[in-house]
Amino acid sequence: MADAAFLALSVLTIASAIAALELRSLVYGAIALMGTLGGIAGFFLLLDSPFVAMFQIAVYVGSIAVLILFTVMLVRRELIFTKVEDRRRRLAGVGLMLVAMASLGAVIVNSGISGITTDEPAVDFREIGADFLVRYWPALILMGLVLSGAVTGAMVLARREDTEDDQRAG
Amino acid sequence: MSVIAPRFKFSEFVKSIIENAFWIVVIMTLVGLPMAMIVLFYVDLPVIDGALVTPFLALTWLSHPELALPLLKSFLTSDAFRILAFPGFGFAALVAAGTIFVERKMLAKLQLRVGPFYCGKIEGILQLAGDGLKLISKEIIIPAKADKPLFIVAPLLFVGAAAAFVALIPVAPGWVVADVDVGLLAVFAVIGFFPIITVLSAWSANSKFPFIGGIRALYQMVSFEIPLILSCLGVVLLTGTLNLTEIAQSQQVIPWIVLMPIGAIVFFICMLAELERIPFDLPEAESEIVAGWLTEFSGMMYGLVQLGSYVKLYAFSALFVVLFLGGWSGPVFWPPLEQELLESGQTLGPIKLQLPGLPLFSQEFFSAVIWFVLKTAAVIFFVLLPRGVFPRIRIDMLLRIGWYKLIAMAFVNIFVALGLVYAGVVGPGGIF
Repeated sequence: MADAAFLALSVLTIASAIAALELRSLVYGAIALMGTLGGIAGFFLLLDSPFVAMFQIAVYVGSIAVLILFTVMLVRRELIFTKVEDRRRRLAGVGLMLVAMASLGAVIVNSGISGITTDEPAVDFREIGADFLVRYWPALILMGLVLSGAVTGAMVLARREDTEDDQRAG
Repeated sequence: MSVIAPRFKFSEFVKSIIENAFWIVVIMTLVGLPMAMIVLFYVDLPVIDGALVTPFLALTWLSHPELALPLLKSFLTSDAFRILAFPGFGFAALVAAGTIFVERKMLAKLQLRVGPFYCGKIEGILQLAGDGLKLISKEIIIPAKADKPLFIVAPLLFVGAAAAFVALIPVAPGWVVADVDVGLLAVFAVIGFFPIITVLSAWSANSKFPFIGGIRALYQMVSFEIPLILSCLGVVLLTGTLNLTEIAQSQQVIPWIVLMPIGAIVFFICMLAELERIPFDLPEAESEIVAGWLTEFSGMMYGLVQLGSYVKLYAFSALFVVLFLGGWSGPVFWPPLEQELLESGQTLGPIKLQLPGLPLFSQEFFSAVIWFVLKTAAVIFFVLLPRGVFPRIRIDMLLRIGWYKLIAMAFVNIFVALGLVYAGVVGPGGIF
């Protein structure tokens, strides 16, 4: 059952990743990208970590894909991309990807990670939270500062008055 | 002289009967038998009283009341019933239909109109059925330059996302379609799909008004998602869990709205914005941009979007009840039935009344469901009320409210929750 789900998710993820690169319509490409990100969320579900899977969907599919869609729809395509593509570039890209994948695969296969078998239950997200509060608290505080800085920055940007109007008035 | 069939020929009659019989035999062999075999081989059939309930046996039992009762009971506890009927989509769609009618009637009363009146003898009670029939029988028009696949799929996706939202809401103890450990996060993941579907359908219509409406919806939903999530953090801090059932059960003593009124207010306002209700209905502002992102939908496609948005309204109200109003908790209406009554029945003089297997549900279940529905109906009433009271607000005011008033208030709420935890009011060793 898990194998069938894994195969289906792999096919979905890889096929939609290729579609995201190859589709001529940018909106459909963005939808395919959503498929890829959703497939990765499915992998997290298969790995017994629904917490990460839900964040993957909420953040990547729910926010980043929306950002991409928004950009694609508001900006005309010709303004973003100039198409430089010929046969040689295409073949070079495919070759480069194959080399990269082969070397990464060789590293992963040789690292012995495929030989690991474990029956341990998945780590509960509450334990991760407790670890964050007890052992890794400086990292947590740093993250909190960065995030609140980001939120404050967003609010400052939203509050910014348009100076041009004042200049025009003055 | 008129005859019913002027060119009646007996041979033609026999031929038509034989043809019909032939097609029935062919279809039953090619479709019916494989379907029965698929059910027999692949569906996990329930076992009742040591007998495997095949479709044939089920049909036999249905003709006998005493045997049909255990069958009904096993169906009521099955997953299919949960998904399709009670805590799942059927219940939500029923509440949504009721909401549409109540909204029209209530708005009319608020604005000193009559509202739906003529369809059905009593207060236009059949108006909704009439509207549904009209929507189903209308032609579905797809704009010539629309992006067809997306345009057709968008309403279905919208209803699907709303149904997924409903599936996460617990209605009574143990009565939830998907009881996931990270329920609240799953809710936020599902809510994240609505702006995508909206903006994709708006784009695919290839028309100006839907596009403007879709972009407005995107602005609105994305900017109000942040205070929505932040306002729930207080509840998560106090309960220490993301499971919605546990959150509801943690409020047996006191609902969180008493301790965190600010969070509840922020959540409610964000809910209005996410649902595109007045005063935040800029995406469908009918006086400026026709019907916003719904402009090009016609017939049942519009009906599906409308159904989806009202199912979403029910789901958000139910989420508010679960998070802040204590879910199904409340005093039990009737005491549980006596054991003797259940076993030996009731004797009234010469008549002995006994129904083995009844009641189907416990009294606590009924009480829980009644409390939940009452609270949800109250929240839905307060969601509907602004439509009769407030005008629509401008988009810059909307974004101003979303980006700093509500976010700041949500942070205040988080500090209130932290204060409650550290003061020892809630949590281990606390009062509640």
